[in-house]
Amino acid sequence: MKHLFNILFISALTVAGFAQAEPPKAATTSGDYKSSTVEGGADRLFDVNSDSVDMENGSMQWKGKTFNLGNSRLMRARFERYLQTPQTSDDVQKYIKILDKIEKLLAPNAITQANYYTNQQEAFNLLFEAAQYEMDANNSLTVASQVKKIWTMRAEFRDLNITKNQLEALRKLQEGVVVNRAQKIEEANDDTTAGSTNKLKKTSQGTTELGYRVKDESRTQAEILAKSAEMTALGLKAQVEFQSQMVGFLLQRRYRHCIITSAFYRVLFKGANQNIKVGAKEVKEFFPVSDFVPTLESLDTLAREAMNDVNLGMKTVDDLHKQGEVYASFERLQETYFLGEYEPVVMTFDAVKKREMLDLWRDLRELQRIGDERDLANVEGYVNKVKGRAKDFPGTSILSKVNNAINASNMAVLSAKQGALSGDTAKAESALERAGKIWPQNPQIKEFATQVVNRQDKMGQMIPEFDRLVSESKWRDIFNKKLEFALALSSDKGRSDKLRQIVNRVGELDANIQKASVLATQNNPYLAWDVLVEASKTESDDLVLAKTRSDIAPLVADYARLIALAEKFEKEGAEAAALNAWLQAQDINPASPACGEAIKRLARIVAGGSNVRATSEVPVPPLTPATTEEVPVPPAR
Amino acid sequence: MSKIPPIFYALGIPVVVIVILLAVVLPRLAGGGRFADLSAFSVDGYRKDWATMQGNIYRLDCQIEQQLSFVEGKGRILAVKPTETARGAGRISVFVPLNGGNNFEVGQRYKFKVRVSRDLLVVEELEKF
Repeated sequence: MKHLFNILFISALTVAGFAQAEPPKAATTSGDYKSSTVEGGADRLFDVNSDSVDMENGSMQWKGKTFNLGNSRLMRARFERYLQTPQTSDDVQKYIKILDKIEKLLAPNAITQANYYTNQQEAFNLLFEAAQYEMDANNSLTVASQVKKIWTMRAEFRDLNITKNQLEALRKLQEGVVVNRAQKIEEANDDTTAGSTNKLKKTSQGTTELGYRVKDESRTQAEILAKSAEMTALGLKAQVEFQSQMVGFLLQRRYRHCIITSAFYRVLFKGANQNIKVGAKEVKEFFPVSDFVPTLESLDTLAREAMNDVNLGMKTVDDLHKQGEVYASFERLQETYFLGEYEPVVMTFDAVKKREMLDLWRDLRELQRIGDERDLANVEGYVNKVKGRAKDFPGTSILSKVNNAINASNMAVLSAKQGALSGDTAKAESALERAGKIWPQNPQIKEFATQVVNRQDKMGQMIPEFDRLVSESKWRDIFNKKLEFALALSSDKGRSDKLRQIVNRVGELDANIQKASVLATQNNPYLAWDVLVEASKTESDDLVLAKTRSDIAPLVADYARLIALAEKFEKEGAEAAALNAWLQAQDINPASPACGEAIKRLARIVAGGSNVRATSEVPVPPLTPATTEEVPVPPAR
Repeated sequence: MSKIPPIFYALGIPVVVIVILLAVVLPRLAGGGRFADLSAFSVDGYRKDWATMQGNIYRLDCQIEQQLSFVEGKGRILAVKPTETARGAGRISVFVPLNGGNNFEVGQRYKFKVRVSRDLLVVEELEKF
């Protein structure tokens, strides 16, 4: 039973996850769409395990890193919306050129002492130009704001630096005053010690003032330290904010904006600040190296690698579509979409193809819904519908598993019936429950339930009918309703045994009738007649047997007449005459076992009783064949 | 004394021999044999209405086909086929009582003197031929 449940479970999962490209993992919860395009790159810098989209968890794996794409419902909705969205009217090439130009302006080989500020400004201005395109979604404005903020922070930094310098100058002045006052006090003390005669002279003159001067100098020192801390914090804040934005773009899969932000960062910050402080952990997950130190270049590499994968993915989509492999093309589009949904090449995918994919997507969703509801009867129809749209859809394996599930359910219903028939209610209930779990809408379950309900009613009617037919020896009538009787009498052992005997008896008779029919068709009507005569000895009232006899009788009229005569003579005590009739019959049908047996038997009787024959008893002479046209039939016992 | 001419003996003796032979063999060839005075048995008549033949005695020329049964102290039932088919063909059964040392083999030919005893043909005398 456990095994059966496993089969069911696998079948159900397979049906539910019909969109899986490869079936070997029956119960996959991730990895719906494997990317051969990504795995195909032999020169990968990274250890690529697999890329996949997990519709159930709403996530996508790329290079072993999981991107959270939102919950599964939203994820599906987003992909469907993408397929429904008309092609953008933007001039993609122009947009890409603007972004490329920004990159070039900020490239390390382009930035010099002379154009340091002008290039920054020009790139800054181009961000606003890029933001005008729909596909940019104003992300360039976000970058611009970030850059502007850094510039503002720089001004603040400069102001702080000036203030700090001024405070330093003030502190040095205050330090000089303190030193001066301290020297004066020291001199006064020395004088007092040397001329001890003048004891009335004041020795602590200036101490109070010195105290105030020291306090002023300490205050200034503290202010300088505060300014230094403020400057450090300001710088750190600028780095953190910028890097946050950069990593944010990467994780949102806005790779081009990530690269541009990175380029600005490289220009705006000194070399000492190029290490990644924000998102280092996330970036490190892309690189399976234990002592890896993430840098700006790491982010750049990831973003460019993703862009390359997206471009390659879309080329594969087009190529597969051209070759008529619509389902494979659909799979590649889905994975490529979730890797780079904001990439221009994805956003400008051909609208006609998108419409085709949308129709396929809807049919797949419907098929999945049917699978979820285990409406196995309708799966085949939808599989064929999907196969009509996409010939490469792996429908055969789905249908095979669905058929297995249907068979398993039907077998469980059969088991339930057997349980019910044998009176094992627990077994019947368990099997019925199993059948319902596999295929809730199995029509045989409903049929069985109806049978069970009707059974109680029928039992009351069938038992008296059975008894009546038995008393009238109507075995054939009982045989014809054997299934109904079997159901009704299942709990009545005595009647069940009787029914079994009757069914066997009529079954044997039918076998003999069949045998006789075959012999007759093989041009051997005399042996056929023998079989029927033998059967008639026990089943003389059977209508089917009588009909078969009447069908064959014209073919064996002379033979049948002789046998009838022989039996008549024997019945009248004229064994010798009977023996002669049998001999005559055997001359017609030498292979007849019936004739041989009768001759042997009668010869023994005649030989044994020949000397006591009374001549006074004159039996009635037999009718001559000419006196009757009717073919005699052996008398019934 | 008259003398009988030798030619008389030369012709007379063969004629006498031939006459004697004809007197002995011809009745046999004609089917009568020992029971030539009996009526030939009609198989068709026996089958059709053996009741009217009860008690009658007939001559039956036949060939042994099969021994159907033998009962110690009583006799045997033989299936025989008439050699003369003008009055009916096919096998019939006869009862040979155990009153002699006859051996019956399949294929042997006999002349039977049979009596119709109710429906049974009882062999009363027999002669091989």
